[in-house]
Amino acid sequence: MRLRIWHKMIIGMAIPSFIALLGVLLSYGYIDDVQKRHGYEQIADNINDHVLEVRQNENYFFHFKNGRFLDKLHKAILDLKNSVNKISSYTVEEIGKEDFALLQDAIRTYPPLINDLYDNYLEETNVTEKVRAEGRKLESFVAEKNRTSELTSSFILHLRLLEKNYMLFRNEKSFNALNSKLTEMKKLTPHCFECNPYIEAIHNLFETYKKSDALVAEIQLTGDRLEEITRRMAQRERQRIGSFLTKTKLLLAAALVLLSTLGPLFVYKTATYIVAPIIRLAEITKKISEGNMTLRAPLREHDETYFLATSFNTMLDKLQLTYNSLERSIELLNEKQAQLVDSEKRASIGLLVAGVAHELNNPLYNISLTVDAMKDELNELTEEKISEYIEDISSQSKRAHDIIDNLLDFARARKSTEMEKQNIVRIVKESFNLVANQMRINNIKLEQDLPDEPLFIKGNHSKLEQILVSILTNAIQAMKGNGTLRVSLRPDPESNRIVLKISDNGQGIPEEEIRNIFEPFFTTKPVGQGTGLGLSVCRSLVREHNGEIEVESKLGEGTTVTLKFPQYKENA
Amino acid sequence: MINEGCRLMVVDDELIVCKRLKQILEKAGYDVTVFNNGEDAVKKLELESYDIIVTDLKMEGVDGMKILETAKRKNPDTRVIMITGFAETETAREAFRKGVFDFISKPVEIDTIKQVIIKAQKEISGSKT
Repeated sequence: MRLRIWHKMIIGMAIPSFIALLGVLLSYGYIDDVQKRHGYEQIADNINDHVLEVRQNENYFFHFKNGRFLDKLHKAILDLKNSVNKISSYTVEEIGKEDFALLQDAIRTYPPLINDLYDNYLEETNVTEKVRAEGRKLESFVAEKNRTSELTSSFILHLRLLEKNYMLFRNEKSFNALNSKLTEMKKLTPHCFECNPYIEAIHNLFETYKKSDALVAEIQLTGDRLEEITRRMAQRERQRIGSFLTKTKLLLAAALVLLSTLGPLFVYKTATYIVAPIIRLAEITKKISEGNMTLRAPLREHDETYFLATSFNTMLDKLQLTYNSLERSIELLNEKQAQLVDSEKRASIGLLVAGVAHELNNPLYNISLTVDAMKDELNELTEEKISEYIEDISSQSKRAHDIIDNLLDFARARKSTEMEKQNIVRIVKESFNLVANQMRINNIKLEQDLPDEPLFIKGNHSKLEQILVSILTNAIQAMKGNGTLRVSLRPDPESNRIVLKISDNGQGIPEEEIRNIFEPFFTTKPVGQGTGLGLSVCRSLVREHNGEIEVESKLGEGTTVTLKFPQYKENA
Repeated sequence: MINEGCRLMVVDDELIVCKRLKQILEKAGYDVTVFNNGEDAVKKLELESYDIIVTDLKMEGVDGMKILETAKRKNPDTRVIMITGFAETETAREAFRKGVFDFISKPVEIDTIKQVIIKAQKEISGSKT
């Protein structure tokens, strides 16, 4: 699959964004749930409010026990019933069908109970009136009778007090007190006919009150149940909201954690994925730039870096071809340069040989004269004479030998191109020896200004000698006999270089020709006298020594060639 | 001896040449004076005249050509034999123009020198008679 870099980037960015979006969407769903549940909670609370209204009116009814509050209570129950019936079946399912069933059940049982209670309350009034009437009758009966000792007025009064207490408090204590008083009265007068209606009335009171209490208890229980159910419903919704909120929080936290960990990871991975081929390419480029030309960029990725790598490789291939041909050219050039140096050297040797041949004549002439003298005196040779002749012959042979040696030294093809520590003072002196014959032939005087102590440069002995012989020969030829060659060699402490100046007072070089003197095959000499390679080869040899060559010339006054070589440094 | 009384001057910057020529030529009966450099020879020529001068051409300072000039100026009868290791046509032509008797290339056998000297002697005696 070909994924472009921007595809990779979008994937890398999209995944964390997707995580964030997923977290937000999921928590949005929960928020929706929370809203819904909040509505249910309000519904439950509303029902609860109605229940509380019912309970309040219930209390009022219990307290005032009249028809007005009965109506109010009925109305409250009706309101409650309506509010419950108003709720859609879906909501009922959501909030809790069982609770609603219980709720409706309780609501249904409510009205008959309070109606019964109200009836009983009316009964209570009747019974109470009856008790009071009978009580009053009993009081007056006891007061009239008076003779009966069993029932005293005070007993009856006490009884009536307990009766009032019971009516007032309607609790167990007052009931027990009244009941035990009645039992006491029955004991005192077992056959009191007049007492019976009162006792009966009291019992009726007991019954009515008991019934009321039972009804009240039942109503209260129903109310409590109502309250409990509605409270439970609201509570449950609140719990649900709470759990949804907790879930939302967890979800958001999880999304956040995921985003903060996976997000950077994905971005990092994507970046690595994108950057890795570029890094590989960069590494390869570095290695190639360090010289490993055979390496090629890997072609693994299929994005833009793939095209980059292929283009890069194509470029490298072309570069390699160019490089190869360049290398061949350089090889060829070096070969040619070597040939040039060689041919120049042979030309120099040719020049030197002429000088050497003439120079050899001197010792040979000396030897031949000595031999002639010996022949001449053959019969009168003294031992002293003989040893003198031998001495002369031997010294002249050595002289001839030295001359030849000198030339051979120069001519010997020194294949060594090694650059070593060289005493330039010595090399200058040796090159003087090589051109000494030419100087003598051309009647050239040499003024040398060389230091006594050695001066060192890094170089190749044979090449340095070739440079010097070439320049000295040029100078000698420029003077055309009878001239002074001035050679000075001085270190220049400022530039850390050694400066060699070779001046002649020859014909000089015309200004328009001076810039051509380093061109190969440029010559001012007549055809057949020079190869025209001298200075061009000199310059390339000087450059091999990291040196410089300069030529100054004035027509008719002479020419100065200045050579500058870096001073030898240990470990350089 | 035939050669006695013939005044010979030998000039060469090679000491051995001076020594040997003097020795050999004296043995042959010549009156030989040698000079190891051109300056001394020229000075001497200003004062004295020689019959034959054998001189080297290439020398530091005063060379054979100068000696030839001086000798011919002082005494045109003086015969100058020039010996050179380096015979350029141009130089030879100049020498002949200046009146050199002979121009001999090194290395040369002593017999050749002797013959040239004898030839010069003959010419001198011939011109005298």
